[in-house]
Amino acid sequence: MTVFIARRLLLLPLVGIGVTLLIFSLLQLLSPQQRAALYVTDPRQLQAIDAIIREHGLDRPVYIQYVQWLGRVLQGDLGWSETAKMPVARAIATFFPATLELTLYTFLPIIALGIWLGTKSAVHRDQVIDHFSRLFAIGGQSFPTFVWGLLLLMVFYGAWRLFPPGRLSLEANLVVLDPTQFRTYTHLVTVDALLNGKLWIFLDALRHLALPVITLSLVQTATLVRVTRSSMLETLRQDYVRTARAKGLEEPRVINKHARKNALIPVITLSALLFVGLLNGVVITETIYNYPGIGRWGANAAIQLDAPAVAGFALFSALLLVFGNLAADILYAWIDPRIRLG
Amino acid sequence: MTKTRWFMLPVLVAALALAFQPGLASGQAVKNPDTFVAVSFGDWDSLDWAWAYDTASFGVIFNIYEPLIFFEGGRMDRFTPMLATAVPTIQNGLLSKDGKTYTFPIRQGVRFHDGTPMTAEDVVYSLRRFLLTDRSGGPSSLLLEPILGLTSTRDDKGNLILKYADLTRAIRAQGNNVIITLKEPFGPFLSILAQWSYVIPKKTAIARGDWDGTAATMRKYNNPKKESMAFFEFANGTGPFKLERWDRAGRQIILVRNDNYWRTPARLRRVVIRQVDEPATRILMLKAGDADADLGVTRRELPQYEGAPGIRIIDDLPTGTSTNPAVFFTFNIDCAGNPDCGSGRLDGAGIPPNFFSDVNVRRGFAYAFDYNTFLQDGFRGKATLAKGVIPRGMFGFNEKQEYFTFDRARAAANFREAWGGQVWERGFKVTVLYNAGNVVRELGARILKDNIEAINPKFKIDIRGITWSSYLAAMDASKLPVFFIGWLADYPDPHNFTFHFMHSDGTFPHVQKFKNEEVDRLVTAAARETDRAKREQMYFELNRKYFELVPSFATVNAIAFRVQRSWVRGWYWNPMFPGTYYYTISKG
Repeated sequence: MTVFIARRLLLLPLVGIGVTLLIFSLLQLLSPQQRAALYVTDPRQLQAIDAIIREHGLDRPVYIQYVQWLGRVLQGDLGWSETAKMPVARAIATFFPATLELTLYTFLPIIALGIWLGTKSAVHRDQVIDHFSRLFAIGGQSFPTFVWGLLLLMVFYGAWRLFPPGRLSLEANLVVLDPTQFRTYTHLVTVDALLNGKLWIFLDALRHLALPVITLSLVQTATLVRVTRSSMLETLRQDYVRTARAKGLEEPRVINKHARKNALIPVITLSALLFVGLLNGVVITETIYNYPGIGRWGANAAIQLDAPAVAGFALFSALLLVFGNLAADILYAWIDPRIRLG
Repeated sequence: MTKTRWFMLPVLVAALALAFQPGLASGQAVKNPDTFVAVSFGDWDSLDWAWAYDTASFGVIFNIYEPLIFFEGGRMDRFTPMLATAVPTIQNGLLSKDGKTYTFPIRQGVRFHDGTPMTAEDVVYSLRRFLLTDRSGGPSSLLLEPILGLTSTRDDKGNLILKYADLTRAIRAQGNNVIITLKEPFGPFLSILAQWSYVIPKKTAIARGDWDGTAATMRKYNNPKKESMAFFEFANGTGPFKLERWDRAGRQIILVRNDNYWRTPARLRRVVIRQVDEPATRILMLKAGDADADLGVTRRELPQYEGAPGIRIIDDLPTGTSTNPAVFFTFNIDCAGNPDCGSGRLDGAGIPPNFFSDVNVRRGFAYAFDYNTFLQDGFRGKATLAKGVIPRGMFGFNEKQEYFTFDRARAAANFREAWGGQVWERGFKVTVLYNAGNVVRELGARILKDNIEAINPKFKIDIRGITWSSYLAAMDASKLPVFFIGWLADYPDPHNFTFHFMHSDGTFPHVQKFKNEEVDRLVTAAARETDRAKREQMYFELNRKYFELVPSFATVNAIAFRVQRSWVRGWYWNPMFPGTYYYTISKG
């Protein structure tokens, strides 16, 4: 297992270089003036774009530009984002924690519910729970995210005033922004609230997380339920499952130990992609709920042709994907030893 | 069940839920009684009054900084002293008989938010800095023109022509007085000062790397980049509110009461202005009482507020000070790396940078716009069709002025003429832009797209919304080929419209690269004309020129309205205000 992980880790720099080459190649489609913004870290430098072009050789051979750009990227210098009005690296650090928090609260329910419901549905095929899970899956996937988002907002906020939009209420927000009253440790508001001993802010943040979490869970769990169900159905038809049953193993043991573990391979793939997808931000959900996440910033940057922000966001997303795939690879190997031997 | 019926299901569920909505309504207790929450779409461009030139930014600025004089209540023609202790008139001796020299006795005992006292020297510095800044297309011409007789501080080659000696002669301190000498008498001068004489502390500015007030460093601080200015995102004024935070992550600006204010401190302790792009979310926030005013609402969303308990709609507010929106063309577009130009050539997949320099193209666009549909759908009929650049109700407006109407045949005829017939033969592809979140301007862009694409299948229009500050930056860089934007008067005089819509140094022509020397001369001459009847005729002539040359075309003059919670007290309307003046407001 250790050798397997080490091999995968050794591949990471190569993948990283490939990703940077791809992004840099796409950047070459932009004018030198637009690319110059990649080298700006302080807005005052915007006054001297021509000097930046000369200084960084943006009119010199492409390979020299790549090496210089990569050097800066490795130092965490991704340029200036006009959309966020701050350096790209700082923008990522600013907006990502909100998305990470949303992802963490969303991902666990999705996985738990998706796998549980998908398994139950397959095991009890054509029974009530199966019909319910299929209906749930169809319902979750039938409506676009914005329909669910607006619907839930209208009901749970508009009508019942239960779960407001945003990340925090006004009172909590003012406290969190005041360094004399609130110390920021992780930028995850729920965690920081507990670390500060302010339970009411923790609960307030949970109230604000509720609707985005429910919306995303509704849509994403449906997919996971369907994949888990079909994978489980396929596995339950395998000879070794029949053998396990023939040996007289109890049904829960057959399902949980023998069938489900093997059925999880496609579920892990999907989960890894889902996790990375959530971390990259969920534009529609963040917009409807006025949730200050990275997805909305990334989408705005793209619409506004904010080249450094888009490049930085793409690089960040690619890194997330690489690490997400690495985690999935490790999980595969843990679940199915044949993978690491192959 | 059909797909449509499936889609109806959540709507039915929502309707049922809303039917059982608890009765919060009018009896609802005031939420956050000492904090005012305003929601809107779009962000803020800059908090430096010498640079900013948009209503969103000034909606914040004019609550933090104060001018020498201010509008008296809702009046546009009467003023009250603010940082000056008197409004100059010939009668009180503070305005010279030749109408050129204004003396402003500066109020004593006023302190900036950091506690330092405000002096006449700060006033002089602030005004001189404003003139020197003169960023391209910015507001400095408002005072440059009357004070120094200049429309720009730079010549055609970009060289600084502003003389330090002229600055110091025109604006100077004498004891506790500030004396401003105009090049020529200028009727609306006090109107301009009522919004454009904000005072910043000289020492703070210099400490933050801004102009030191000397001749030697003038060039460096002329036409600076937005973010390089000392007060771009920092504020230190004398006004009723202090900037507590520009929270970019939370997309909000928080103001806190200035408890050491020279007048009675404001009743509100805090003002939070939040950027909420989704209209449905803003509407629900106001209905829930989590917001006190929706500053981004358009008439398209107004039905959702009508009859809602706890919500007050104040309609039919006196207007006549805005032309909004108008459609602008950039005559020489910066197409480098600019996808809004498509291929950058007249090949059916794009446009060349000078595409709109042909008046036939511009007329084609103007005749292709369905004004009545826009008026009905965008404003629910609560607007009048614009007749030229000067808004209805303002001096210089001509009821008989010919104006564009929706005429597909004439649009087609103009497109056939354009570029010697090449436009019709090859077609084009261009992007029409608007500021994201403005659903009315978005509707206008869609109307333009639908109608132009219907004229010739080779005509392709994309539409795109950009966040406000980036929109302004792209406009300033001449990157927007066709764009929707509006104009709120800086002072109630037609010159403020003709200059910024037609004069080559005006805000829009400057970025459009539109220059017509005859128009420039006429704009300047009309501003200086003292005979009212002659002046009116000159504005009629300018309106004719506007129709003939089509540097842009105005669509409607809208009727203003406001939506806020019923518990908001003390709000009043002045058509000149760029936003909400929070000083007089309370909740309860």
